[in-house]
Amino acid sequence: MNALADVWRREAPHVMAALLRHHGDLGDCEDAALEAAEAATRQWPVDGVPADPRAWLVRVASRRLVDRFRADRARTRREASDARRAVDTPVTGDVPAGDDTLQLLVLCCHPALSRPSQVALSLRAVAGLTVAQIAAAYLVPPRTMTQRLTRARSQLRRAGARFALPSEEELPERVAAVLDVCHLVFTEGYTRASGPELVDVALAEEAIRLTREVHRALPDHDEVAGALALMLLTHARSAARTDPHGDLVPLAEQDRGRWRRELIDEGVALLESTLPHGHVGRYQLQAAIAAVHAEAATYEDTDWRQITILYGMLHRVAPGPAVTLNHAVAAAMVHGPTTGLAMLDPLAADPAMRRHHRLYAVRAHLHESAGHPEAATEDYQRAAQLTASLPEQRYLNRRLARLTEPGRP
Amino acid sequence: MKYVILIHSNPVPWGHPTGDFLPEFQALPDDVRARLVHDFEEVLGELQANGELVGGEALGDPAAATLYRWRDGAPLAVDGPYSEAKEHLAGFFLVDVESRERAEQIVAKFAGPGETVELRPLMSSGGPDQ
Repeated sequence: MNALADVWRREAPHVMAALLRHHGDLGDCEDAALEAAEAATRQWPVDGVPADPRAWLVRVASRRLVDRFRADRARTRREASDARRAVDTPVTGDVPAGDDTLQLLVLCCHPALSRPSQVALSLRAVAGLTVAQIAAAYLVPPRTMTQRLTRARSQLRRAGARFALPSEEELPERVAAVLDVCHLVFTEGYTRASGPELVDVALAEEAIRLTREVHRALPDHDEVAGALALMLLTHARSAARTDPHGDLVPLAEQDRGRWRRELIDEGVALLESTLPHGHVGRYQLQAAIAAVHAEAATYEDTDWRQITILYGMLHRVAPGPAVTLNHAVAAAMVHGPTTGLAMLDPLAADPAMRRHHRLYAVRAHLHESAGHPEAATEDYQRAAQLTASLPEQRYLNRRLARLTEPGRP
Repeated sequence: MKYVILIHSNPVPWGHPTGDFLPEFQALPDDVRARLVHDFEEVLGELQANGELVGGEALGDPAAATLYRWRDGAPLAVDGPYSEAKEHLAGFFLVDVESRERAEQIVAKFAGPGETVELRPLMSSGGPDQ
């Protein structure tokens, strides 16, 4: 049964691509592909897995598509259209399959859609997850996820989105959106602590799988390689980032022996093959920072000077409050907490940052190491109030208790 | 990001939609009232259609509540309401949105005269490691 699911997940983008080349509507093709997958779960355990599962799935799905179209036609008595003529010709699986996944992702990450819709559609149509699986992964009822998908498909239809690679000028922007969606899925999976809500779908691994496919289609694209490297280097820390109680272990305190070397090696190799090319994007820079962390034996041994330089470059390429905060942490490790605190002043003056818990968390740490317990106490309190993460709140409250009740461990 | 939108209100008699039973709301000119109702229904429909609405319920009269307090090592049940406060929890909506800004934009459409609407983030069990 699991082997069958694996076959389906691997073949889903190719089946979808074969259908979409003949019939442009994403929703119709998804339904037909799903019916084919259901037929496979019934027939394959009895008849055995066919020699060419992709051809089998495409054949069954296209038959369903044709049947449905004929039924629709009988109902509506509409005149012949290009779309219908196209779908009446039998669909075959033997089309160039090289970049099916990329092409599908580009369609699902269409600029007419909001980010959450792009994410949901990509997981559904490209990763081949069921609505129930996606809903469970994002902790919302299946009905909510169905609505999100339905809205996304009708927006694609209205926007006249087609299953084709965009023009050369448009492509970089579309690939950037695909990478952002993959990274968003990864982060959602990675930042989730293991626990009762851990579902059967590992989002972080799904994201890596999709990004690998994009990398296969665009091997010379530096940011694709950078995004893949970033995910691998971060994912390598997964086992070390929670303690046996499910509480978060910050980077500074992680048991680095539990980091997965093979993922680190792969990430570093990817980076080394792309960095010399020239233009350096934000994913490559973030991956380079993750690589510096990965190569340090301890937190204190980290090459903070290198990390400070990389954050400086990141600040030029993709500035933002998160970058400034991390830049300040790294600079404080090199030049002392006063330097870090000074870098935070502009952020503290920005009204949009008043609710940003990380500003207060970072400032609390820096005040604590600078020997300002009162300021640190106030900032730990504010950070703990503002965070939406339970483990992070527990961690901040522990730091706070250490300052205000010095007798405690 | 998930947020809960809490409606604190005191319709007399208790009823839903709460605006129908609030003097402050009823005192508004017809066209203003119609606009507020329209804006709310529009945003609610939009939340439903685009998959941002996760759930929501209207609550019964606080007089129908039972409160459980701890007395002498055992629970003690007392009939409600929870307090003599001016406003009670009258209903809630759970939304899942892209950003706090989007949540604030939504909540603004839930506000009306004579009641307080509260936006609160939900805690999650995950978190970053740096």
